Amino acid sequence: MIACVAVVGHQNNPLYLQSFTGADDALKLHHIVHCSLDVIDERVNNPKRSVITLNESYLGLLYPTESYKVYGYLSNTKVKFLVVTTDLDVKDTDIRSFFRRFHAAYVDAVSNPFHVPGKKIISRIFAARVSGIVKAFAPGTYG
Amino acid sequence: MAAGPRPRKSFLRHEKPRRATRRSERRMAPLVPKSGDAIFASIDRVVGPMNTAEASTKSEALINAELFTLTYGAMVRQLLTDLEEVDVVNKQLDQMGYNIGVRLIDEFLAKSNVSRCVDFKETADVIAKVGLKMFLGVTASVSNWDPEGSSFSLVLDDNPLVDFVELPDTFQGLHYCNILSGVIRGALEMVSMKTEITWIRDMLHGDDAYELRVKLLKQIPEEYPYKDDE
Repeated sequence: MIACVAVVGHQNNPLYLQSFTGADDALKLHHIVHCSLDVIDERVNNPKRSVITLNESYLGLLYPTESYKVYGYLSNTKVKFLVVTTDLDVKDTDIRSFFRRFHAAYVDAVSNPFHVPGKKIISRIFAARVSGIVKAFAPGTYG
Repeated sequence: MAAGPRPRKSFLRHEKPRRATRRSERRMAPLVPKSGDAIFASIDRVVGPMNTAEASTKSEALINAELFTLTYGAMVRQLLTDLEEVDVVNKQLDQMGYNIGVRLIDEFLAKSNVSRCVDFKETADVIAKVGLKMFLGVTASVSNWDPEGSSFSLVLDDNPLVDFVELPDTFQGLHYCNILSGVIRGALEMVSMKTEITWIRDMLHGDDAYELRVKLLKQIPEEYPYKDDE
């Protein structure tokens, strides 16, 4: 089950953070997302990246804690997409397709002329789409 | 020495049969296309999705519809930053549309070859089916005629100007597509019809379609600029 999703800008400024657990552990999720940013920075500065020169780098599992797993995805504009999930076994292909759809929703939200780049995303349509993608991701385990 | 008989040349004339002119080869006068789609297909510059298959069948130069949408969005955003008041921006968009409309009508009439409209009803159909299709790539429907036939509603289900747009709460009074009302007003004024156009429904405000109310105020007869008796 997906606990939360986050979008972080290229200066590590948070653009969007949404939790889906219902419980009041938003702060803990914030913390986890923050730690994951450090892992991303490590991976990005790692020379391993020069071998794979894809446009969108799927970073994979970043940070397994005791009950959560954090997956990351980096767009070529250095916008980071993070997903925190409580599922123990998640297929790689599922997460990749999740990130693709998430990225597409983000691109549509940013194309809004009233969105200020660098500020938080306040689009309600984006929030609805992300909730839809999250629900579609784990139809059996969610809820 | 004795020359034999000269061999007779046989002059078999192979006469080629004259090809009868086929009916299809005879030149026919090109028919003026009546429907919006046929006119649309012969236009040079068309706004459409960046689809190479469509580009090869329809025309050479297509501009990307997203570029058009983003350009319009940037323009509205800049107007809001400069003028700051929603009502002033609405009026400015209408004025810009008016300036576009008075010039666009000539291109429309030149490219579309439609005949002179007999009455206002025909004008409404031409705007909805031919004009909007040619310039925006969408068809609108005409409805809600009032009993005198002097005003109608133009309903657009799809509008390329507003892809990706979501109005923030501070700009709720903004008529984002007000440029369209200005364009129609300007174009009709150049063909001697003075109109008043208002927005009834707007998808950005939560409705299900875009509805424009076009009201004919008066027909201005064409005036001769010269005096005849001099």
